[in-house]
Amino acid sequence: MTSIGTGYDLSASTYSPDGRIFQVEYATKAVENSGTAIGLKVKDGVVLAVEKLIHSKLSVPEANRRIQTIDRHIGLATAGLLADGRHIANRARDEASSYRDTYDAPSPLKNLAERLGLYTQAYTLYSSVRPFGISTILGAFDKEGPSLYVIEPSGVYFGYNGAAVGKGRQLAKTELEKLKLSELTTKEAVYEAARIIYLVHEDAKEKEFELEISWIGQETDNVHLPVPRELQQDAEAKAKAALETFE
Amino acid sequence: MSVYRSPGFDFSNSTRNNFLLNKGVPLPKATSTGTTIVGCVFKDGIVLGADTRATEGPIVADKNCEKIHFITEGIRCCGAGTAADTEFTTALISSNMELHALQSGRKPRVVTAMTMLKQTLFRYQGHIGAALVLGGVDPTGPQLFTIHPHGSTDKLPYVTMGSGSLAAMAVFESKWSANMERQEALDLVILAISAGIFNDLGSGSNVDACIITADGTEMLRNVDMPNQRVQKERDYKFRRGTTAWTKEDVRKFVVEETVTSTDEMDTS
Amino acid sequence: MDHIDFNRLKTGEVNLGTSIMAVQFQNGVVIGADSRTTTGSYIANRVTDKLTHVHDRIYCCRSGSAADTQAVADAVHYQLQMYTQMSGGPPPVHTAAALFQRICYENKDGLSAGIIVAGWDKEAGPSVYNIPLGGGLFRQPWAIGGSGSTYVYGYCDATYKEGWGRDETVDFVKNTLALAMSRDGSSGGVIRMCVITEEGVERLFVPGNELPKFWEGAEVLGHAKKINQAEGLAPMVVEA
Repeated sequence: MTSIGTGYDLSASTYSPDGRIFQVEYATKAVENSGTAIGLKVKDGVVLAVEKLIHSKLSVPEANRRIQTIDRHIGLATAGLLADGRHIANRARDEASSYRDTYDAPSPLKNLAERLGLYTQAYTLYSSVRPFGISTILGAFDKEGPSLYVIEPSGVYFGYNGAAVGKGRQLAKTELEKLKLSELTTKEAVYEAARIIYLVHEDAKEKEFELEISWIGQETDNVHLPVPRELQQDAEAKAKAALETFE
Repeated sequence: MSVYRSPGFDFSNSTRNNFLLNKGVPLPKATSTGTTIVGCVFKDGIVLGADTRATEGPIVADKNCEKIHFITEGIRCCGAGTAADTEFTTALISSNMELHALQSGRKPRVVTAMTMLKQTLFRYQGHIGAALVLGGVDPTGPQLFTIHPHGSTDKLPYVTMGSGSLAAMAVFESKWSANMERQEALDLVILAISAGIFNDLGSGSNVDACIITADGTEMLRNVDMPNQRVQKERDYKFRRGTTAWTKEDVRKFVVEETVTSTDEMDTS
Repeated sequence: MDHIDFNRLKTGEVNLGTSIMAVQFQNGVVIGADSRTTTGSYIANRVTDKLTHVHDRIYCCRSGSAADTQAVADAVHYQLQMYTQMSGGPPPVHTAAALFQRICYENKDGLSAGIIVAGWDKEAGPSVYNIPLGGGLFRQPWAIGGSGSTYVYGYCDATYKEGWGRDETVDFVKNTLALAMSRDGSSGGVIRMCVITEEGVERLFVPGNELPKFWEGAEVLGHAKKINQAEGLAPMVVEA
């Protein structure tokens, strides 16, 4: 961190002489410290999964969810600052609801991703605010079929077939690349997602974690829902078993 | 009453005015031009026409006013209704059309002027009493529109407006044909305006016309003057001595004055 | 004013005292309208086009105030262009109808506009939406509107059948409008129609002298005259 002490990192409205905005890069660091979040776009739907790290044994199970519902057909998973994730989810809900009011139709994910990208980017322009310390994975089943987007702290957003953000993203991406995503069903994708989260957690030798996993697609009548408890338990059991045989 | 006012619009005058109206006090009237204005499409352009009478109630306020207003070189607009409204609205749109042409670097179009006018008039919900005939030639060809005070528009090959519109339309409906020659179209427009001048009380005096083609615009001020004051057939002066008198008395009314100078005023 | 003014036109306003209609069929919609625009008792335009384009496969039929409905249609046309640019594809008909409804409902006190929105889209196929004066939104297999429509509700109820093809639907619209125009003084002129399908929009025109003819009452008067002659009846003598 050669930049520290130069003064070019004090505000999001200041460039460094080589054209970087340090505040945005620091925000990216906040994401890199977070538990992994992944998204899989498959044949008939989308699966979102999050490795939620448990900071205290006293915390209530299933509290502080990092996967949230934006609209009937849209789910969102964040990696980074938890509170920023809640803020962006509320903004996303406003945008989705406003689209419904205006066009009497569910918002296409492309549209929502653009609106949130624009919103996130606005927080990289002013000295009075800080950029969001989160990467957001958006998943939906809309008019165009299944779709998946990631928005970064800079405001850029891309569409993906498989996405991974947070601490274990490198390993997760390697695992996602091995899959034939376009041929998978959502149910198969749930098992793969659980396996990948367990795998990246094992790799980092972290403390306790809790698996959050949701899906949208034909299985759920295109509604964003947590996967059924039995299915999740089964997927987690299989994921643990897979760890034994891995490598 | 408090010196503080609540924020927002104040509608108290509206209540007062309605009260006065119910008491029988009429609202003040704006000057309205009972008018005949027309427009017609011919083979290679547009002919616009107007009479030249402006009225204030029963009084002819101007016997030779101009009702064909300039919008751009190739677009003109005839105005009927409230005189001040037609004058200022067309002037405003003319100004905005020039700015628009400068901004876009393109030749201005009639639909652009039409859209600006209709949106202005619609915003004012009919309180701008302008009834317009808009015509011109632009890169898309000859265009002719009518615009009503509430902001509705019509696109037709021949149009009339104002109090004389019925008389003028009668002429168009019986004599208009497609693909007329320039002179034919001008004659027809003069005939239509004349019908307004002679059969409508609100219209009168002379005929103005304007011929717009791709080659240029010709403004024909007073092309026809069917109401010229001519030499009276008889002299209505009485002959000297028509009236008899019994007595003659001549008196001098001019007062004789002499100017004398006094000492100069002391200004020291 | 102690009565409810249903028409709510401002004095001197240009009125589309109208007969308009839209009917859904298997692979498209047929929309139609008369061509009369009036200011009081004067016909300001006898060949008006009340079938207004708002998108490639979505049209609206306008009734009420000409100024209001033109302004609303222009606003929706603009919003649909923006929608198309942003989403990269044509809007569904119900989205267009929702945009019309929003404007009509939010400005219900200031507008007199009765609009029928109809068209074709990829999701729902052909559809017809009726937006009456208060700003409601109703999907219907067929809709009629304007002052002339009141005369032909019975005819439509008695005649309409599901499962018609293009030609039967065009005839239904043409006949309904001709009947409405013959009974409603504020409607008349020519019939304009559009057939909107996936393939495109086809415009149809029926001149005023070629409208479908129905009972016109002339033969009854003619008959009565003959009876008079046959019986040799003379008018009553009026004494001086």
